[in-house]
Amino acid sequence: MNAEAAVDEASESLSSLGAGGAGDRLHFRLVLRILLRCLRLLVPVRGHVIRLVVGFSAVAVTLAPIGFLLFDLFWTRALQGEPLTVIEAGLLGFDPALTVHVDALGAELRHAVALRSIALGVGAGLLSMPLFLGLWYYQVWILQKINQALRLDLVDRLQSLSLRFHADSRVGDAIYRLYQDSAMVTQLIDVLVLTPLGAVARYVFSLGLVFCFDPWLAVVLAALWPPALVLGNLLSRRMRVRFRAAREANSELTSTIQETLAGIKVLKAYGAEGRAQARFEESSRGAFTRAFEARSLLAIFAMEIFWLAGFAMLASTAWAALETRTGAPLFAQKMLASLGFTAWNLGLFNSLKMNFGAGTDQVRRLFSTWGRVQDISIGLDRVFELLDLEPDVRDAPDAVPLEAVHGSVAFFDVSFRYRSERAALESVSFEARVGTITAIVGPTGAGKSTLMALLLRLFDPETGRIEIDGIDLRRLTLESLRKKVAIALQENLLFGTTVRENIRYAVPNASDAAVREAARVACAQEFIEKLPQGYDTLLGERGTKLSSGQRQRLSIARAVLKDAPILVLDEPTASLDAETEMQVLGNLVEWGRGRAIFLITHRLSTIRRAGQILYLANGRVVEIGSHVELVAREDSAYRRLVELETAPTGIRGSR
Amino acid sequence: MRADFEERERVSGRESTALLRRALRYMAPFRARFLVKLGLVILSLLPFLLLPWPVKIVIDHVIEANPIGKTVTPYPFFVEPLLAPLAGASPETILLWTVVAQAVLLLLIGAIGAGANENDRMDAYLAGGQDIATRTENQANAGFSLAGGLLGYFDFRWTIRLTQDLNHHYRSRLFERIHALPMTAFDDERIGDAVYRVMYDTPSITETCYRLLLTPIAAPLNVGIVAGMIALVYGAHPLLALCGLAFIPIVFAATLPFTGLVRRNAERARKAGANTTSSSEEGLANILAVQSLGGEDRERRRFDDDSWAGFSTFRELLRIGIFATLAGAVPGVLLGGFVFLYVTDLVIEGTLSPGDFAVLFTYFLLIVGSCVDLGALWIRLQESSIGLHRVFFLMDLPGEKDHPGAKPLPPVREGLRIENVSLDYPDGTCALRDVSLEASVGRVTALVGPAGAGKTSLAYLIPRFLSPTAGRVRLDGTDLEELALESLRAQISFVFQETVLFDDTVEGNIRLGRPDASEVEVQRAAVLAGADEFIQRLPEGYRTRLGRSGGKLSVGQKQRLSIARALVRDAPILILDEPTSALDSDTEQRLVAALREASKTRLVLVIAHRLSTVRAADQICFLQEGRILERGSHDELMALEGGAYRRFVELQTRGAA
Repeated sequence: MNAEAAVDEASESLSSLGAGGAGDRLHFRLVLRILLRCLRLLVPVRGHVIRLVVGFSAVAVTLAPIGFLLFDLFWTRALQGEPLTVIEAGLLGFDPALTVHVDALGAELRHAVALRSIALGVGAGLLSMPLFLGLWYYQVWILQKINQALRLDLVDRLQSLSLRFHADSRVGDAIYRLYQDSAMVTQLIDVLVLTPLGAVARYVFSLGLVFCFDPWLAVVLAALWPPALVLGNLLSRRMRVRFRAAREANSELTSTIQETLAGIKVLKAYGAEGRAQARFEESSRGAFTRAFEARSLLAIFAMEIFWLAGFAMLASTAWAALETRTGAPLFAQKMLASLGFTAWNLGLFNSLKMNFGAGTDQVRRLFSTWGRVQDISIGLDRVFELLDLEPDVRDAPDAVPLEAVHGSVAFFDVSFRYRSERAALESVSFEARVGTITAIVGPTGAGKSTLMALLLRLFDPETGRIEIDGIDLRRLTLESLRKKVAIALQENLLFGTTVRENIRYAVPNASDAAVREAARVACAQEFIEKLPQGYDTLLGERGTKLSSGQRQRLSIARAVLKDAPILVLDEPTASLDAETEMQVLGNLVEWGRGRAIFLITHRLSTIRRAGQILYLANGRVVEIGSHVELVAREDSAYRRLVELETAPTGIRGSR
Repeated sequence: MRADFEERERVSGRESTALLRRALRYMAPFRARFLVKLGLVILSLLPFLLLPWPVKIVIDHVIEANPIGKTVTPYPFFVEPLLAPLAGASPETILLWTVVAQAVLLLLIGAIGAGANENDRMDAYLAGGQDIATRTENQANAGFSLAGGLLGYFDFRWTIRLTQDLNHHYRSRLFERIHALPMTAFDDERIGDAVYRVMYDTPSITETCYRLLLTPIAAPLNVGIVAGMIALVYGAHPLLALCGLAFIPIVFAATLPFTGLVRRNAERARKAGANTTSSSEEGLANILAVQSLGGEDRERRRFDDDSWAGFSTFRELLRIGIFATLAGAVPGVLLGGFVFLYVTDLVIEGTLSPGDFAVLFTYFLLIVGSCVDLGALWIRLQESSIGLHRVFFLMDLPGEKDHPGAKPLPPVREGLRIENVSLDYPDGTCALRDVSLEASVGRVTALVGPAGAGKTSLAYLIPRFLSPTAGRVRLDGTDLEELALESLRAQISFVFQETVLFDDTVEGNIRLGRPDASEVEVQRAAVLAGADEFIQRLPEGYRTRLGRSGGKLSVGQKQRLSIARALVRDAPILILDEPTSALDSDTEQRLVAALREASKTRLVLVIAHRLSTVRAADQICFLQEGRILERGSHDELMALEGGAYRRFVELQTRGAA
């Protein structure tokens, strides 16, 4: 696939990211696939998950028979006076002679049975509650761990994606995926393991028990499935579409808020607050409408399933009532005879109601979970969309670390383009030796910053190659390469931490002495020491307590601290006045012995320091040489630039 | 003027009550709809009185085949008339009618009995995560009903619409207040935190309103009705009703001690959540710096810490909940056991029938449920009050506003006069000291000086982004403080030092200056700014979307775009802060020429370092450390022996000679 097509395809997939659209890419199989993919996330915590499941199962398995017995003890034995079964007598500590092998229980015995049953029930309840709560808390902790891991995966991916992605995407969308969408992973254990296991187990148990009572009732319980499945099938797709729309609308709202606040000063300056507010309200309304549509559908689905379950319950209860009235024998009476149950009675009637109800409950639970799974899968799909984006630049499998730089940095016929039409760089070739300063000059948009981005391997060139000391950049590990290149950007981006931390950004372990030295080289030492807390002064978000010149010097200090053999300064002196500029450049020249320094600038005073000047226009190297050489040429573009800078403005003479 | 988002740590009990009251006031426009909701809630409670009775009917009359009219305990007054027609019917007929009645109830209110698996409560809660922010999505779109079936669905729709409208209203007011904050508030503060407040703290209001208005009415009503029913039907055994009511104090005793703890933890949890949003927002918005400076590891670690802190604080909240639950469960279970025993004894005695047991069982379940709601109420309110606090705090910050009696500004014709202005920042630093300056329409004034001299601060005075600590700024003789902000800013075009572009088309960004500018005018402004050229070369020209912060353009291109934006506005005052710092000489000269042109009918103020930009100005003011040292034209100032400006120029050109 040629480079152009690759770029086109990349921009295609990038621009469709998060656009979702009206259609629904998912279907049942894909939903399952997404859930299964998340199983991988359970692996690091599998020990915990197993312990959790075992814990829940143990408690459930212990309580279930107790619950069943208690139920019977009440309804049939205590309330109605039927004799106890052997097991029950044993459980409660009664003498079988008095309680089992009699015709009926007397009032006193019934009272005693009730008392002991209640004691048993209360005891079991009080014991199991802390257990359940403890297990539940454990589950929360596990889920948070999984969510954290997923968030970190996303952050890693976001950081490794190239600037191409970030230029197209919106911050709010990335944040939404990072938090809201990735939170869906916390449902995994519940949705994939606990609910299905628990629900199916309970359902099968109920089905079995009901079958033992009367097979027809079991048929009714089983007959819930076909219509429920049909309903689910009909509505799933629509639910998914709506859920996606709701998430996207919310994500867009987050983006709107973020962008408005980031650009608030311009909005104020142009009196555009009203328009921004209108846009916000529209976005907010839209998000709510989508949420409404999604949730309504879910509610309707749940309601319809409940109607199904309800009718089944009614039918079965009626049938069981009739059977109980006649005291009909149970279907599996032989099996149950050992437990003491042979024919329908009030206790069994209530037991049936409870178990049939539990069975329908499980069906409702499963379908309700299925409904929520649609939303969960959409959230996770959005997460995976992001995780599946390939970073543009990666280490080659046999990459070697870059050790030291002694020779030169060389570009050989390098071409690159951001979008498929306009080339940012075309056939650029030059060499810069260590110990020299190269100035890169030219009109804006000529490709100067792109050049430096390529040197950092933020992108790879389409054609040609870049070499350091004769090694192609693509054969070097990214980490080692970027350690050896220090850059001070044109947009002086600082962070909301202290001055010291800002300077130490790339080298967190640098000593204070090193920090001070870097500040000295950048002529920032003076003003930093005059700040209220000196190096520990906290800068606001985006570092805006300082003037632009001060920020620029901090950026330079940051680059200097890295102590890299290759230093790139993008418009380092644009915000500095002439005097400071002189000092800074002087310091840099001194400090820069034995390094390769690149200066991107169009300030003559800065350019003059360079040993070599590269003049770029429209992505091509138009001229290359020293100041003296280039000025000597008759029609050189560089000469024209110098003339413009130094001559009195031809536009108007003095007044 | 600088705002401090770091509000005090603790919200006291009294304060949280005040917050709740305030939340209720916000609810006022929605009063009527709330009343309807309350009506629906009450309506949903009533059918539950009916529900246990079919069970008793089935047990007593169908299974036990007692004829109607011969039961140990009589039926309540609303059930009797329904049973009367069935007197003397066979058990099968009774069963049939009971089933029919239950089917109707099922369809209408989604319930056939009173057990948990026989009722439907309608809601559409989606899955949340294990942290506060993801949970609030459900709060923001809360749709719930105590009933199911058709009534439940109607109730659900009503509720969710009410919730959403309330939230939308509240969110919009907060957002409005936020961008009324002075510009400097955002210089210093965290955008991510503000986003969090707008999105995830605002749903606290509906949470609060529902809990404050519905639960305290619905829950006791529920308990009262059920207890009343018990007293009515089983009046012979008053102990039963009393036991029912006894659950209430138990629940309160269990939860009240925890309220302070809950509040403090909720505060920590929300703050931690906002921190996480802030730090990731900062990292993502500055991804270029992060990548090129190799800060990925550092950002990742920061995020890791912040994110896990958010989770931990949330877990602490849960822990408290668990303790409260256990504290209430013990006495609750014991009381329940006692009731069980008592009722069983009555049945053994023969005073109650087994069917009655069923009824009482379900009634007590209802009571316990409502009591738990009540107990949880106060605790939940504490949680929500923190969200409210965060929102109200932001809303209460002083915003920009007009002083009383503010007048609109008539079109500026003469010029600007700054009289003895001093400017101090809240942290004590002095930005300007006794500065006086005159700039008139028809001239270009340049502000020059070393970095940090106060040039930008001076420029910010004009659109009243900042107000002087001493002295006055006048336009055409009128003090700025007496002018209406909107009309003042409508006459100023400001180009900031750091360009800000939005995710909109090129055209849209330029039009921000004047929304009703025609395409021709937009293009003309772009030509003047020297931007038309590169715009034409973009894939879709003026209709190209810029993406976030115009990420696809070079800095110089962005600068030219923002100049075009200012030019299209056509305002009499044009202020440019370092407009040429990223431009090459050619473009710069063209821009300077354009500014000269523009200055014929405008007041142009330029802040710059570059000699070439400044030299052509009519008046140059040299600032240093907050004072104006020299004032005059380029030639005049150059003539001064040992002048500051002269030295400044010489430094610049010396490098070029």
